[in-house]
Amino acid sequence: MKLDEAFRNYREKIVDRWVDYTLSTYESSSFFKKEKDKFANPVGGNVREALDALFVLLARNADPKEFVAPLEQIMLIRAIQEFAASVAVGPIHAVKHITREILAKDKERCHLVQELYDFEFAVDLAVLAAFDLYMQCRERLYQVRIQEIKTGNFILTDSKCPTNLLKTNIQESIKAVESH
Amino acid sequence: MAVPKLEQLSKSVVQGPSLATGAIPTKDWMDIPAIFKPGNYAYPAKQEKVEYLNSQKDLHFPNAREWNPEEDDWKLPEDWKEIILKGLKERLDKFRSLKIFMDCCVRCGACADKCHFFLGTGDPKNMPVLRAELLRSVYRNDFTLGGKILGKMAGAREMTVGVLKEWFMYSYQCTECRRCSVFCPYGIDTAEVTMMLRELLHLVGVGINWILEPASNSNRTGNHMGLQPHTFKDNVDFLADDIENLTGVKITPSFNRKGAEVLFITPSADVFAEPGLYTAMGYLLLFEHIGLDYTWSTYASEGGNFGLFTNNELMKKLNGKMYAEAKRLGVKYIIGGECGHMWRVVHQYMDTMNGPADFLEVPKSPMTGTTFKNAASTKMVHISEFTADLIKNGKLKLDKSRNAHVKATFHDSCNPARAMGLMDEPRYILDHVVDNWVEMPENTIREQTFCCGSGTGLNTDEIMELRMRSGLPRANAVKHVIDKHDVNMLSCVCAIDRATLTSLMNYWNPGCDVCGVSELVGNALVMDGENRQELDEGLRTLV
Repeated sequence: MKLDEAFRNYREKIVDRWVDYTLSTYESSSFFKKEKDKFANPVGGNVREALDALFVLLARNADPKEFVAPLEQIMLIRAIQEFAASVAVGPIHAVKHITREILAKDKERCHLVQELYDFEFAVDLAVLAAFDLYMQCRERLYQVRIQEIKTGNFILTDSKCPTNLLKTNIQESIKAVESH
Repeated sequence: MAVPKLEQLSKSVVQGPSLATGAIPTKDWMDIPAIFKPGNYAYPAKQEKVEYLNSQKDLHFPNAREWNPEEDDWKLPEDWKEIILKGLKERLDKFRSLKIFMDCCVRCGACADKCHFFLGTGDPKNMPVLRAELLRSVYRNDFTLGGKILGKMAGAREMTVGVLKEWFMYSYQCTECRRCSVFCPYGIDTAEVTMMLRELLHLVGVGINWILEPASNSNRTGNHMGLQPHTFKDNVDFLADDIENLTGVKITPSFNRKGAEVLFITPSADVFAEPGLYTAMGYLLLFEHIGLDYTWSTYASEGGNFGLFTNNELMKKLNGKMYAEAKRLGVKYIIGGECGHMWRVVHQYMDTMNGPADFLEVPKSPMTGTTFKNAASTKMVHISEFTADLIKNGKLKLDKSRNAHVKATFHDSCNPARAMGLMDEPRYILDHVVDNWVEMPENTIREQTFCCGSGTGLNTDEIMELRMRSGLPRANAVKHVIDKHDVNMLSCVCAIDRATLTSLMNYWNPGCDVCGVSELVGNALVMDGENRQELDEGLRTLV
């Protein structure tokens, strides 16, 4: 029995547990796990879609550049939720443990655990890439905030609206007069 | 062996599990306190703004002070609890709907997974049923026999400072979009529960600046920006100058002109901020194209009404200027621009709050002769209805190829869709002004539309992460049509959307712009006597 065959046979089981583990990081996760419609359940749907795609890439030792798309799909979401950085990225790691455990329980395939080095190395690369993407998402968030302030969408309060400036100028000049 | 390792992996070594991590909750929801930290709450209202509002006739905004949600002491009045309970009693007596909403929920859970805040955060207190339960539990405790006798067993709990803080946290994690109420078999309007929570909080001086400052500006100068008449006029004139540069058509809008047939009112963001500016240019071009006899008002210079997000009295007061100006100027009826919550106020409350507007006529299009019977009571017609009717009667010269750079989709703004049923008119317009536009998935549009995530005065930058979370369901559906159909423009009919969806797209779907439907109309219009430059990006082209 070859490792790639084992990955094919166990893909669904591994991905299911991986998705379950990832979604368990949410306080109220049963809906996220249950609902399959990606539009009714964006967190669950995107996590499932992305982890499945990522698993296929990891299993076939794909070029790490290909990890970016599915990882970004997940990190965009987790980077703006209330997770510590390590918890946001952590679940990517989990597939190592899940795969080991599932293979170890299968008597015919438990010897394959010894051959997981390349797979686990690919997971390590994916985790590192996830950290980069996490940071990129955070930076993008800050840019969005700055952009909002700059473009004048942030004008309801403390804005550079001419009338508001006028108001400040008047108040300043009143103060100046008073201080004399 | 592996399982304990996995558990270890789910916790941050540095910080321990945060609120949203650590998987299965071990405590009852009532025992989990709301914790305020930077980024999860909007800044409290400035003292001077609250003082100003409280000084105004018919308004009540007490307990102006400096306070900080992160501190234990919120500097509430000593008798805060009596104030809240008395306020709740008054509202239960005054609003029959509130009493019914408190009593009739059977906790079936149909609403639970329909809220964009829940979908983006996974926080159970963002399930509409539980958000309402925050108030309902207090109602049970003090206003029902079962609750008084059985207490917690009957889902009742005493009003405490902790409960009040929880109210503040979660009534400002609701955009009153009413998606949940679409799915409620009893028709409970959870938005109205949020409205009541916010009203009660204002009784003890708990409110946010992003709402109260625009509201006080609006009370002072007529619009959220605090623009005085000359500035408002200048801004519209600038837009007319831009139109002349782009198309060679000179437009001279009038202001406060008595005897005009129509008064036009739109959100002030349309005349001040991108991308709303282009929508306003669309209005100017459209009215010029058909020769409409209309005027702007520099006093009713705001369609939006942040009073809606505070209490009944302020909503009524801010809305009053619409009819007051219509009367002063002697117009026949009002056309309203693209706005979301403005239309909820106009369609559902204006007539009973400040009407009947007997001095106005039922809106009748001077170009097509169509009578807008749906606006027979309010005397105010939506720009999309007005435009769609013009198109249907062949009154507009349109060239779709002028929108060749646009591949659009359409976001139904919550209030026009769910509070007034405006769904087909903008789509009809899109059919006629762009070659390419596609729908997002069925369960994300029309009455099931997902909120932009930043409505009801939550479009402030200090809660940007929260806004990105609550906007995820909308952005996710937009991403789908971008991936599948190369969509590059998210069109809508709401000023808050135009501002907030822009930020939402910049995070989730960079490269997708946001526009008002009237901008696309303006792009496509073939104007008499035009000397149009090559406008590769329509009205947005830099020349």
